[in-house]
Amino acid sequence: MIRGLWSRETVAMVLLAAYLPLGLFWLWLGGVDAIGRLGLSALVVAFWHLVFMLARAQAPSLAALITAFAIAMLAPEDLGVFRLALGISFGVVMGELVFGGWGRNVVNPATVALAFLGFGFPSFAWPIFDAPVAWAAIPAALIGVLTGALSAALLGGAGAVALIALAAGLLPQDALLVSGIVLVLLVADPVTSAATHLGRWINGALYASLVVLFATNWTGAAPVQIAVAAALLSSLAAPLLDEKVLALWIYQRRRRHGRT
Amino acid sequence: MVFFGRNAGLMPEFPSPAGPSEIEDVVTEEAAIRPPLGRAVAVTPLVKEGDTVARGAALACLRHAPDVCFAAPIAGKVARMSLLPGRRMSEIVLFRDDSGGVETHDTNKADTQSGLRRLMQDAGMWPRIARRPFGGMPHHAETPAAIFVMATDTRPQAPNVQKALDGQRDAFARGLDALTLLTDGPVVLCHPEGVPGVDTKAVSDRIQFAPRGTRHPQGSPGICIHQLYPADIDTPVWDVHAEDVAALGTLLTTGSLPMTRLVSIAGPALRESRTVRTHIGADLRQLTQRIVAPGPHLLMSGSPLDGLSARWLGGRDRQVAVLPRAAPARQTHWLFAALTQSAGTRPAIPTTALSQAFGGALPAAAFIRALASGDEETAMTFGLLSLLEEDVALADYVLSEGGTLLAQFRALLDHVETEFAA
Repeated sequence: MIRGLWSRETVAMVLLAAYLPLGLFWLWLGGVDAIGRLGLSALVVAFWHLVFMLARAQAPSLAALITAFAIAMLAPEDLGVFRLALGISFGVVMGELVFGGWGRNVVNPATVALAFLGFGFPSFAWPIFDAPVAWAAIPAALIGVLTGALSAALLGGAGAVALIALAAGLLPQDALLVSGIVLVLLVADPVTSAATHLGRWINGALYASLVVLFATNWTGAAPVQIAVAAALLSSLAAPLLDEKVLALWIYQRRRRHGRT
Repeated sequence: MVFFGRNAGLMPEFPSPAGPSEIEDVVTEEAAIRPPLGRAVAVTPLVKEGDTVARGAALACLRHAPDVCFAAPIAGKVARMSLLPGRRMSEIVLFRDDSGGVETHDTNKADTQSGLRRLMQDAGMWPRIARRPFGGMPHHAETPAAIFVMATDTRPQAPNVQKALDGQRDAFARGLDALTLLTDGPVVLCHPEGVPGVDTKAVSDRIQFAPRGTRHPQGSPGICIHQLYPADIDTPVWDVHAEDVAALGTLLTTGSLPMTRLVSIAGPALRESRTVRTHIGADLRQLTQRIVAPGPHLLMSGSPLDGLSARWLGGRDRQVAVLPRAAPARQTHWLFAALTQSAGTRPAIPTTALSQAFGGALPAAAFIRALASGDEETAMTFGLLSLLEEDVALADYVLSEGGTLLAQFRALLDHVETEFAA
């Protein structure tokens, strides 16, 4: 039997390749501290994947590395080993592994872990990114879109709303840069974003609108906090968006053919 | 990248050596007929082993619908007749013997609906038609809501349908006109853009023309049916290949049904690929004997995507894929096996490749999830009943499922069928 390319693990590898420019820039500018955080989160994520492989026969996925990278990059700073490990464990287990592993999860495990850390330990400062790291999100998005692993519609929807907000002066510079990184890393995840074409446009637009809403009305919030909250809410809304888009598709077909 | 409309789809490439461009006529020394895929059919044999039969003579008919016959693809001697328990047909093998002659049928009553239907069933045309939903050949008294004539084939390495029609354009037009007798609905001719393959003004005005793109699955019957005239339990839709419509046209003028068809032989395990004009049930070993490369290989009737390992050319197949036989898998360490494979199937990740595997015709991710979870109602709203394995094969290939998706699809379809039959 001849087999094609796009199995779950290949998609994970393509996504890893897409995030490579972002990761390399972040590691280069972050130095030893960044490597340490990445190593710790990779270790914790790998541990839980191993536990679920042995206990539930769930094949682990390379997407675990993406989760580890996103958490290491975006988690609040100076948390210490215990708090960070606790947050990652909650996110990975409750956000992904209990649902059956990568591909069956409803929300991105990194988003859950980051939201948990943000709510649980509000006194720790969120990270701040240098402009080069944020710019590296653009090649990441390009690789993802060209290979088809990331949705062009979702990035387009978010980009369109961001442009309008920029023109109206509603989106500050720092929020724009960070929300770009979060868009590529967390929101555009093909599993937890909307899966229909129109749904992806709306999903991207919803994320960008939430970022604008929080940036203008949430006083005292850090840019990463704003973007992670918007990512969490928009990925929770994604199934609803899909449902509505599919209902519209079925309605149109019934009108045209009298049946589906 | 997202492509829409006639640009939707993919172009999967399979390696195959080049070969001569001329078309060779081959009648194999042995040939066999097998029932169409799907439900097993109970038959009554009409000949005995050792009988000499004419080309086109009826070999067996359906037990519960004796009008529907299976015709001999070559003139010859009946070598073996294998029936499974319950008189279900397995295969009937013939040895070639040209002295058998050619069977002719009376075409006097073919200008009425019942007469044409009777002629097609007698002459062995019926198994060449596929019906949707559920697949297989149509029930003997069924009236389709629409008939799709496929003058395009976008499967990788498929023979050029327009080349197959060369020299039989008149017969094709006559066959198209005849098909309008069988249905009250439209007869839809799916053809490559700009090449309808027939004089559009010379045929009945009940024939609709549907230009299709060049990427697979644009020329897949199920995708065309799903987009243009969806099939349902009460509205069965038939699909028939353009070459078979031309054969119907010839049957109407000469009284004998041509058995030949253009078949492409391709695949990485060949020394050179070929296009031959051969017949249904041709012996694949003889067809590939001189051109196959040394080493173990696998002969498949059908395209590399949806073909099945076979000895004989299938009733609706126009491709032979020759693939190298993979070495048996080595025993892996338990930890490595646990890391790479698990008991359960892995989920499909919605990517652009997946949406394009259905030509953008349906919400791919939601459809795949409905198949995986066995949710038949949702799958039916997304077009389960218009599709068959050949339409889903590209998605199975793209997702690297190795047949899991096709098995899920067939299980769901069978379940819907038994549920609605009850």
